[in-house]
Amino acid sequence: MNAPLAGKDGEAAFVRLCEELRPDLYRFAFWLARDRAVAEDVVQEALLRAWRSRDSLGEAGAAKPWLLTIVRREHARLYERKRHDTVPVDELVHSESAELAAAADQETMDVRRAILALEDDYREPLVLQVLMGLSTQEIAAQLGLTQAAVLTRLFRARNKLRRALGVTGGEAE
Amino acid sequence: MTMDCLQFRRSAGADPQRLDDAARAHAGTCPPCAAHLRELRSLDARILAALEVPVPGADGAAGGSSATVLGVERRRWLALAASIVAGVLVGTLLWVAGPQNSLARDLVDHLGHEPEALVVTGRPEDAEVLDAVLERAGIRLRPEVGTVSYANSCEFRGHDVPHLVVQTGDGPVTVMVLRHERPARPVRFREGGHTGRIVPVGPGSVAVIGEAGVDLEQVTSAVTEAVEWL
Repeated sequence: MNAPLAGKDGEAAFVRLCEELRPDLYRFAFWLARDRAVAEDVVQEALLRAWRSRDSLGEAGAAKPWLLTIVRREHARLYERKRHDTVPVDELVHSESAELAAAADQETMDVRRAILALEDDYREPLVLQVLMGLSTQEIAAQLGLTQAAVLTRLFRARNKLRRALGVTGGEAE
Repeated sequence: MTMDCLQFRRSAGADPQRLDDAARAHAGTCPPCAAHLRELRSLDARILAALEVPVPGADGAAGGSSATVLGVERRRWLALAASIVAGVLVGTLLWVAGPQNSLARDLVDHLGHEPEALVVTGRPEDAEVLDAVLERAGIRLRPEVGTVSYANSCEFRGHDVPHLVVQTGDGPVTVMVLRHERPARPVRFREGGHTGRIVPVGPGSVAVIGEAGVDLEQVTSAVTEAVEWL
């Protein structure tokens, strides 16, 4: 993953890299936006933007956090532009549930509902950690937070999910 | 630095996959906290499964978008790629499987080489054979993992790796310890009638593969905790 991305070979490698990362970028965008159509728009625009500024990406190894940053910015930009109305979470879950239920069992659906209901401050670091595999330090850099703040949010996010899903066992506050 | 139960639970609750030395040491001496850690890791596996929503345009995924939207997106990608590498066959660039997918495919292909290993049995593998396989790989396996009914050193992607079969309540499950493969995060896959998990552990990863429909969460958690890298 540390191949340089310059020249014709680099361009081909860049396309391949984007395509490999696209599923995760889409999922990240989906959990940011909680809306499939917005997620598709965000990823599409983010990848085009990435292509235009690919020279600022030194090597393939740095692509993931770089693309995540672009997706986050693009989401913020789109959100700002469209000024989405706030949607109650039950309505949101209902509107997305048919698509999200595809090929998913009931348990997975229950967890999805619980994650959709998390506040943005808790959901985003959790997605970056569990889905994208970022360390707490990398999440702190991505979100512009201290590492301690990220740890607290992750701890609370899991506690909220445990409560929502009825997971028993000790909790520390 | 030692850690008490409260500190452990705060630390593990924030990042159950990456414990520091003090937390690991605490879990090793405190059964309730070790059980709490297993529960957190099991929850993480459920969270990961839930986060992996269907991706429009991905092979095998329930698309979720209309054909029109999908078509537009594919066309835009094709246009983008065409502008990037003129004269190159775009299709071969766009739909190359990711490295994790090909690892899953290689793992499932490998199972086909040793079908005799996957039998339901209560008989454990000869201890000397198992020890030799583990020693060759530079790992130890704590006994909590359960009955290991088969052990072999197999060549996989140019390296000798331990190929084990662990008996579970749902039947035999294949475990391969991959020192030379480390995905950035835990991976779930379905491939060729099998379901699997690849979990980064230590310097490498552990792959656990069962028949489609087998619940791998418990055995994956048990195996990842039982592996010690020497």
